[in-house]
Amino acid sequence: MPAPILEASNICKRYGPVIALQEVDFRVERGEIHALLGINGAGKSTFIKILSGLIQKDCGVLRIDGHRVDFRAPIDAIAAGIATVQQHPELAPDMSGLDNIFLGREHRARGLLRWIDRAALAERAARLMARFAVALDLDQRVARMSAVEREVVAILQALAGEDIKILILDEPTSTLTDVERADLFKLMRQLRRQGISIIYITHQLEEVFEIADSFSVFRNGALAARMSATEARERRLSLATLVLGEAIGGVFPDRATPPAPGETVLSLRGFTRPGAFEAVTLKARRGEVLGIFGLVGSGAEELAKAIFGAVPVADGELRLNGERLCPKNPGQALQAGIFLVPGDRRQEGLALDRSPLFNVPLANLKRASAGRWALRHRRIAADAGELTAGVDLYPPALDLAARNFSGGNQQKIVLAKGLYSKADLYIFVEPTVGVDIGARARIYALIRELGARAAVIVVSSDCDEVHGVADRALAMHKGRQVTPGADGFSRDALLLAGLTGGADSP
Amino acid sequence: MIFARMLSGGMVRVVALLALIAGVAIAFTLAEPRYLSPANLSGIARHMAANGMAALGVTFVVIVRKFDLSITGVASFAGMTMGAAIAAGLGLWLAIIIGLACGALIGAVSGLAVGRFNMPDIITTIAVGSVCSGLAFLYTGGRSIFQNFFTSGIIDLNDARLLGLNLSLWLLVGIYGLAWFVMHHTRTGRAFYASGENPTAAWYSGIPVRRFVLLAYVLCAICTVLAVLLILAESGNAETNKGARLLMPAYAGVFLGAALMAGTSVLATFAGILLITMLLDGFSLLGVPYYYSDGVVSLILLLGVLAFSDRARAWLSRLPALIGLRPGKMDRPAR
Repeated sequence: MPAPILEASNICKRYGPVIALQEVDFRVERGEIHALLGINGAGKSTFIKILSGLIQKDCGVLRIDGHRVDFRAPIDAIAAGIATVQQHPELAPDMSGLDNIFLGREHRARGLLRWIDRAALAERAARLMARFAVALDLDQRVARMSAVEREVVAILQALAGEDIKILILDEPTSTLTDVERADLFKLMRQLRRQGISIIYITHQLEEVFEIADSFSVFRNGALAARMSATEARERRLSLATLVLGEAIGGVFPDRATPPAPGETVLSLRGFTRPGAFEAVTLKARRGEVLGIFGLVGSGAEELAKAIFGAVPVADGELRLNGERLCPKNPGQALQAGIFLVPGDRRQEGLALDRSPLFNVPLANLKRASAGRWALRHRRIAADAGELTAGVDLYPPALDLAARNFSGGNQQKIVLAKGLYSKADLYIFVEPTVGVDIGARARIYALIRELGARAAVIVVSSDCDEVHGVADRALAMHKGRQVTPGADGFSRDALLLAGLTGGADSP
Repeated sequence: MIFARMLSGGMVRVVALLALIAGVAIAFTLAEPRYLSPANLSGIARHMAANGMAALGVTFVVIVRKFDLSITGVASFAGMTMGAAIAAGLGLWLAIIIGLACGALIGAVSGLAVGRFNMPDIITTIAVGSVCSGLAFLYTGGRSIFQNFFTSGIIDLNDARLLGLNLSLWLLVGIYGLAWFVMHHTRTGRAFYASGENPTAAWYSGIPVRRFVLLAYVLCAICTVLAVLLILAESGNAETNKGARLLMPAYAGVFLGAALMAGTSVLATFAGILLITMLLDGFSLLGVPYYYSDGVVSLILLLGVLAFSDRARAWLSRLPALIGLRPGKMDRPAR
């Protein structure tokens, strides 16, 4: 039996204290389409980056065709026969598809001026098109192309120059319509017939059965399973269980005490932002955690930002503690008592080069100066020390730049910042993306604690997270709010509501 | 314990800075004994006052992570405006107020363009500066203005002394003290820094980032006007090229100070501009023409920033591996 086209053994990668990948053994056979599954933060993208030479592994061995390879830069990976198409391919929009495909590889004619040899280019293009018969006008400008056409251009660009044996596609279907997806799959099957192996990242579970020969599942930085699509179908495995795993139950705090919701803090009626969400009507009460489950593009994150005043709404009413409010910016929302723990904490939550001492009081400088102009440094230090100790910040250093903390501890700094600002309503967006499992448990516990005295909304694309941490939940699907079955609060009903937009009962 | 911490932290930098200042002073004194004479020290103080004002203005803009290259033009236009106002007999104080108002207005234009309309800061401020340079010729077509200068009292800004030190130096120290308090001990200063560190996160923390960018440009222009005011006071006339030599020392002071003190701050700028002024003054005392001394100081700035930049240091430390002197990190074999 010949060696697999790609074989990885014992791959590890750490980022500071965070283990991104541990002991991953992975293999792709010649000419197969291999899907890569896993939730955000499971290690898929780290693994792909190692395969494409963007980052270097800490340990382990990569073999292509049985030969050991070491990648120091993307060019090494390409030379070894691995081409990668990023999730949002970088193309030059004002150039034609053809020019994009051969961008940087045009020089053919010898001489001082190195004219671009158009005739040779056209011939190479024709050869390429003969290999991969795509119905696409490559003389068109990329800016005028549809999403799938750009993806095809990016794939052809990846395949154009060298002898590519393995093609990596990072979530190619996430922005495509069903028809476009069928076109893309056609091209993928064609590539497979040419003997090219494809590694393909997706979140769409049904796609795996449709296109993939086999798949691997990443979970918490390790390879959780590898099997063929046929085997999974025969065993009637739910891929959702595979991806989410069973072990995850342990991280959620008990809800021993039944929730005792108090007064309504937030009420939305007909809240609408065209293109993002429509006619959302909900209530959040003090003393309970409201969960909102929504995949990327469902409008759930936009809804959170709209409540916080970070994006405008077109229509609808927002009441906070009974009073009408329409925050035009986060400053007004904070003033009114709303705090958002943003999904992208590195961009939206923290001054990364600054310490917890700088970051924690930032959203409530009024408190930091006791209502006056001059800052109360000693009081800030005392409060920040107390709050960071309360969230178990590790290392417990107030003067270390936020950049040097792990993802989970960065999130704890944002949390301390939220606690410092003393809000009535806390909105968490994707609270545990990029957070390791230990810190996750602590963050869930903190969310529950906070839920006992304030109103809390948790917005997440992780159904188990919403189910595990919330007292009550609804789902968002394509901008519409879906309330899962009236009979209590089950994970499966929530998942169904978020994935398909259907509910068991009205 | 306390000593150890003081030595490990900022104290080392302060000691290094003092050593650097002493070293520069000794080197110039060896080359030219008049360097430490009272007359030359007074000259250093006066030049430092003008350079320091401009550098303080630049500090605000650099803290919000922008650039303002209009200060040459602003200085030229505001200087001529104040000169024309004095010549017209409006009196010194009214002339200063008019000059500051012009500065604030021009700063507001740049600040709105960059902060609110997201125009690229470098291009915008070059354009604004060029417009101002042109406007400076409105009053006299480029001829020097000196009418009423000796009677208006502007010369006193240069000559007057208080407790044995130049008035302009007291002015500088006072304004730096105020700026230090605002930038490091008030909500406003904290918001300034947050706006520069991460504008998105600052906005999500309720800070009106655009307003602080606008404010930084206004403050920068106002400081530039004060700088050119001191230059006019020293020379006793107004000319269109009076602010032409403010830009390089101002930026050099800010960035050298930031490199020395590990971050942009009011005190870092003070340290930086002190060093830069000492160097420039020393070279001019030695008779080195300004076009060479500016070049030397700029070179020192580049080296200083390079020596203190983390990325540059990381790159330098990788250099041996890159050129093959030392093997790079090897992959550990599998189990």
